Amino acid sequence: MKRLNLVFVMALVVAITGMKYSASNIGGAEIMQKVYDLPTGDDTQGELTMTLVNKQGEQRVRKLKQYIKSGEEVDKKIMFFMAPADVKGTSFMSWSYSDGRDDDQWIYLPALKRTKRISSDGKGDYFMGSDFTYDDLGDRHPSEDNHKLLREETINGVKCYVVESTPKDEDYMYSKTITWVIKDVYIGLKRDFYDEDGKLMKSLQINKYEKIQGFWTILETEMKNHSKNHKTKMSFSNVAINKGIPDSKFTERSMTLGK
Amino acid sequence: MKFKIVLMVSLLLFFRNTMAQDNVEINGFVRNYTGVLLNSSSEFSILQNTLNLTFAKQTDKVGFKVNPYLFHYSDSQLELGLREAYLDFYIKDFAFRVGKQQIIWGKAEGVFITDIVSPKDLREFLLPDFEEIRVGVTSVKVNYIKGNHSFEAVWSPVFTPTQMPKSDSYWAPEMSFPMMPTWDYSTSSKDLNLENSEAFLRYSFMGSKFDFELVGGHFFYDDPAIHLIKIMDTATMQMSGLVARPDYQRVTMAGGSFSVPIGGLIFRGEGAYYDGRYFQINNLMTSDATIEKDYVHYMAGLDYTWKGIKLSTQFIQEYIIDYEDGINNDEFENTMTFLIKKDFFREKLWVELFAYVGLNNEDALIRPRLTYAFADGFELMTGFNFFTGEEGRFGQYDDNDMVYVKAKYSF
Repeated sequence: MKRLNLVFVMALVVAITGMKYSASNIGGAEIMQKVYDLPTGDDTQGELTMTLVNKQGEQRVRKLKQYIKSGEEVDKKIMFFMAPADVKGTSFMSWSYSDGRDDDQWIYLPALKRTKRISSDGKGDYFMGSDFTYDDLGDRHPSEDNHKLLREETINGVKCYVVESTPKDEDYMYSKTITWVIKDVYIGLKRDFYDEDGKLMKSLQINKYEKIQGFWTILETEMKNHSKNHKTKMSFSNVAINKGIPDSKFTERSMTLGK
Repeated sequence: MKFKIVLMVSLLLFFRNTMAQDNVEINGFVRNYTGVLLNSSSEFSILQNTLNLTFAKQTDKVGFKVNPYLFHYSDSQLELGLREAYLDFYIKDFAFRVGKQQIIWGKAEGVFITDIVSPKDLREFLLPDFEEIRVGVTSVKVNYIKGNHSFEAVWSPVFTPTQMPKSDSYWAPEMSFPMMPTWDYSTSSKDLNLENSEAFLRYSFMGSKFDFELVGGHFFYDDPAIHLIKIMDTATMQMSGLVARPDYQRVTMAGGSFSVPIGGLIFRGEGAYYDGRYFQINNLMTSDATIEKDYVHYMAGLDYTWKGIKLSTQFIQEYIIDYEDGINNDEFENTMTFLIKKDFFREKLWVELFAYVGLNNEDALIRPRLTYAFADGFELMTGFNFFTGEEGRFGQYDDNDMVYVKAKYSF
């Protein structure tokens, strides 16, 4: 329930329930824990459009439907690829566990007509050619980083905490991240990612968020890759929360039917 | 044939608007496939244009799919076919599918072990995309689904054999006979009756720690056994003629497959036991050059992703139980497969190498290829098919090394 897929797709769907925390004497670790602990709905569904823009300004568009269901021990997610035509009918399912073991992941390729279990080791790979790695889209626990509150700052009239997070694992793909967290709300509004040489590599910006069915929901976001001069825009539509997605949505049958 | 094609296109145009109103999805692809042999002849091994269409609709209760395809070859020959044409309906936890359908089982890749329902189109050996190697079978399939458990029963009233290359094809398999035979095709097809129908069962489970499936079937083996009848000259007691009669025999098979994650690896396995399969034998004591033996076919494989490079390997063994000298196949036949695949430029360019290696005959099929996504839905592909060795499953095609180019637009 508490496992919030902060960035990923509908995982960007962030819920707040009116919790208020005192800003005084709060530390970086506590802020990031509050971001991580924000409750979400039991399930979310919606459509995602990803627009990939290269340095020449050429665009490629990917569309998919996604369903997420949170449980006490496992969060289940299934995605159905809608466009472009050559990937239509492909589906991807992952089960993430609260005990920290590796995710289970499967892919269904319509050309092979078979569901295949795949390795979950490729977290540094880019998702569908976008500027988001699988790890960016996942649910990184705050205990994996050391956090430091750098300052408070106002962006476009929104008051934020600015928190620097340094990974405990030296081999992690980023040397550090800096996150702008909206005060009192505890949504990450912006995040900068630094490469192993300490150079700014990517920036994530939340461009639009609204309250849907009682939950704050992020609807538009953009990831810029500064080193590649490439960016990915994500927009969400037809978002629905707590609609009671059945367990049967997260099965091999659902993957093969594509719905 | 041309009349059928014109009729098909006319019907498509006529129903297009109706389909759009009914939310019938229309997808497909157009493709050009050109291949050249690398031997001294430099002949085109294939010049093929393809139109592949899919019409489909799914609701909560019913659905359908029709997948016609059209191949146009260099010599203006046209081939129109139906890869699939079926209806779906759902009653509570039961899912029914009726009609011509591809049914794919097992965990092995590029080899067919428990994948016994849909026969293969081997007219271009193992070179086409796997979607096009599988032949649809007219069947009734029933699935009962409970959570992550699925029970599947398939009944096929029509026996569909493997489609083999013509005798003058580049891909006609080597066959050796003591003298040129006369072919008798009287038993190469099965009468349409209940007695000749086929039945298959599968149970599958997909869970957090592993996936597995158990399968079984009572069916005709898709590849023919060639029965040889010697005609003797009574005066000289020498063989004066030879009749070759392909026939398909019933087999009963049981097997299973699994895949399990181990650390960052995926470990896969698959095996099948055949109770009585026919093999060719060169033994004067056998009357028709065939012999029935039990047979085991199994595979163990590993998948791994390293720095974005997908790596996969499989070891496959075939074993003829109670082996006898003279059987054309080896008692043990061992094969390995290797796959290396990586994408570049944000999934715009894929580099792939897939290889079959026959360990018994030291032969191989090595398939490097590049795929470039020129635009969304439009890809250009080029690759080589290198056959090495002098004999064996792959070595027999040593003269058929080829380079090819494919352009494909999906819509």
